Amino acid sequence: MRRLMIVDDSNIIRSKIARALGEHGLEVVGLSPNGEDAVERCVSARPDVITMDITMPGMDGIECIRRIRSLNPDVRILVVSALADKATAIQALKEGAQGFVCKPFTEESLTEAIGELFSEE
Amino acid sequence: MFGIDLGKYRTIVISIALFLIFDLGVLVLNFFISSEIASDAVNVNLAGRQRMLTQRTAKLTLQLENRAQAGVPQDVELKELIAAFSLFDRTLAAFERGGETASGDGKPIRIAAVDDGVAQAVLADARKLWDPYKARISEVIESGRASPAVASALVTQAERANLPLLKLMNDLTTRVEELAASKATLLRAVQVTGISLATINFLIILFHFIRHLRASDRQLEQARKETDDILRTTQDGLFLLDTQAVIGVQHSAALERVLGTTALAGRSFYDIISPAVTPKTLDTTREYIDLLLRHDVKEKLVASLNPLECVEVQVAQGPGESDSRYLQFGFNRVFENGKVTHLLVTANDITRRVRLERELQASEERAKGQMGLLVEILQVEPAVMNQFLRSAQDGLQHINRQLRDQGSAREVGGETINAIYRIAHRIKGDASALGLSSLATSLHSLEDILNGLRERPALSGEDFLPVTVRVKGLFEEIEAMHLAVSRVAQIRGVVSVEAPRPQHDPGVEALPFVQRWKDFAVRLAGEHDRAVELNYHGIDAETLPDSLREALNSMVNQFIRNSIVHGIEDTDTRRRRGKPEAGRLSVYISARDDGGVDLSFRDDGQGISVSKVRDAAVAAGRLTADEAAAMDSRRIVGLIFEPGLSTRETVDEDGGRGAGLDAVKAMVMQLGGQIRIGSTPGEYCHFRLSLGALPSLAPIDKTEDKAAEEVPA
Repeated sequence: MRRLMIVDDSNIIRSKIARALGEHGLEVVGLSPNGEDAVERCVSARPDVITMDITMPGMDGIECIRRIRSLNPDVRILVVSALADKATAIQALKEGAQGFVCKPFTEESLTEAIGELFSEE
Repeated sequence: MFGIDLGKYRTIVISIALFLIFDLGVLVLNFFISSEIASDAVNVNLAGRQRMLTQRTAKLTLQLENRAQAGVPQDVELKELIAAFSLFDRTLAAFERGGETASGDGKPIRIAAVDDGVAQAVLADARKLWDPYKARISEVIESGRASPAVASALVTQAERANLPLLKLMNDLTTRVEELAASKATLLRAVQVTGISLATINFLIILFHFIRHLRASDRQLEQARKETDDILRTTQDGLFLLDTQAVIGVQHSAALERVLGTTALAGRSFYDIISPAVTPKTLDTTREYIDLLLRHDVKEKLVASLNPLECVEVQVAQGPGESDSRYLQFGFNRVFENGKVTHLLVTANDITRRVRLERELQASEERAKGQMGLLVEILQVEPAVMNQFLRSAQDGLQHINRQLRDQGSAREVGGETINAIYRIAHRIKGDASALGLSSLATSLHSLEDILNGLRERPALSGEDFLPVTVRVKGLFEEIEAMHLAVSRVAQIRGVVSVEAPRPQHDPGVEALPFVQRWKDFAVRLAGEHDRAVELNYHGIDAETLPDSLREALNSMVNQFIRNSIVHGIEDTDTRRRRGKPEAGRLSVYISARDDGGVDLSFRDDGQGISVSKVRDAAVAAGRLTADEAAAMDSRRIVGLIFEPGLSTRETVDEDGGRGAGLDAVKAMVMQLGGQIRIGSTPGEYCHFRLSLGALPSLAPIDKTEDKAAEEVPA
């Protein structure tokens, strides 16, 4: 069972993702409300996949992806954010995210994106 | 061959193998023949020496005989004889059967027997002569010295054998030389043949090679031509970008047209697009291309982030003119050995698509707007609506004329703006009064533009461009409303949205009260140099209660008077305004279910002039100038029902005293009811009165605002 960590400053979004992907067969091993917490937690939680918000108080998602990448190069990162512009999404992918889903998202778009994350090209 | 599929190289491999075989064959033969020639040369040499040895032997026998006869020692001669004799003998034997002899320099040499028939015959003859000769010499050699008799016998033998032997050895030499020469000829033939075969083989190789080369050249040429055809014909801009985002040497012909620039090969893609995009988009594009060049990010994912999906570019159309076009760039990765080496970029001009989409969007919005418009239009009487639209069109045309007159002027006075503003403001007032909110909004934005222009210190004709554009839009809106009105009219015709008016009954016109109004109107008009025509529709007023009938009669008379004195223009003016010469007065009375009646009185005169009413109110001392200025036009129009107010400059019995409409108001108040006024300056004036049995309605004073609602500002 793949281990999932959710990084988002919104409690509602966190539980929405947790519910959608929990039912989809992922084990939720961490919920982080901000980037700093996520970086700290990702070592002990050992997630296989992280959903990452971009706009968060304090450390933003881009910086968070960069740090987590350096700590755990194998983890797959799915950006789940209200991507204001394409530049942010591109930046996230350059920093090592493997996918993105725009908010507001549907359960299907989320599970599909997670599936894509683990499919071979 | 060798279990390997040589494919197209088969011929060339065989050719090379043959070449090697020929070469090797020639080499071996050459080696063999030349070694034979070498041994033949030795034979020639030895045969020549045999010839010489016959002469030496003969000479030594003579010297030996001389020595023997002189009785002097003959050791030296004997010794030399032995050497010459034995050398000849050994060499002869070697020629015959093969064997060892001494070479020219005295070293032992093995030679093969001469296997030529002619030479063997010569040798056999030589043997016959040599053997007796040899026996005599052997005798002398064995005895150690020759007596004069033995020496003479030896000389005799030598004389007999010497010349034939010389000739035979000569023949042998000649024969051996011939043999050598024939071998040399053979060698040459072999060499010539070998070289010829090698040359033929070489030519075959060359031929095949050239044929293959030409075939592959043709294929290449064909492929190149096809690529050229594709690049020349495709309507897409196609090109390759390398990892440094530099455009490749080949691109489609359409690319230059799409990008509007030439000499693209070798240029940086960023340089090409930078004039058309914002610095931020340019940065995003750089990041995006970097991302594409990394093969670890999925192409599908990246595709949705393309920042150049729709780029607006300005294209110069002529001096000082430019046109907006929209370009779309698509990126595909080109892989080589699992790495992204290039990006295939397609550039398309999607202007038509974008415009179409926008038009669709706009027409959707218009359709939505039209629904709203229809609802708005349904709430306005068709006649009023038509009048409004005509008046609005006139107003807009007036604005257009102003704009045209100022279009080329270097400086435009504020008066022009004010004039335009006034017209726009009037139409806007009309529109909002009729509840046509979308049109009112459009006019409001025109006012905003004009206000903006007012604030500028200096104006030129060009500054009016946005006004022109907006006015054009207004014309279109009005046109759309015309269309909508005619549709509504159709719908009304089918479903009778409005309560049907009583059929025109010619009998009604002949009723005495109607006839009285007509007579009055015609007489009064004649007195004022006007022409009028009064029409009546509706119920027979004689059937109404006396009080109501008398009130109605009085009010209609007052309205007739009011129209002719204030409303209907003289015939010249009416002609100029495109109206029928005779002013039209329409009276309509209908009975309501609640027992009350509605009176409608309408003329097609010059309408109510708000400014005149305002001025009159000030002149009459009813309002101060400031109050009048601050008062909105609806309330101003309401003043016409106030006593002692007239807009007429001269007072006469029919008007000017300001006593008339105030009387109407008083009657309405008495009967209970409300008055509504609709008017467009230059077009019409319309009074609508609801009388009696309206207990729920507010008294007249409170309804004045409402009453003036349809009065344009």
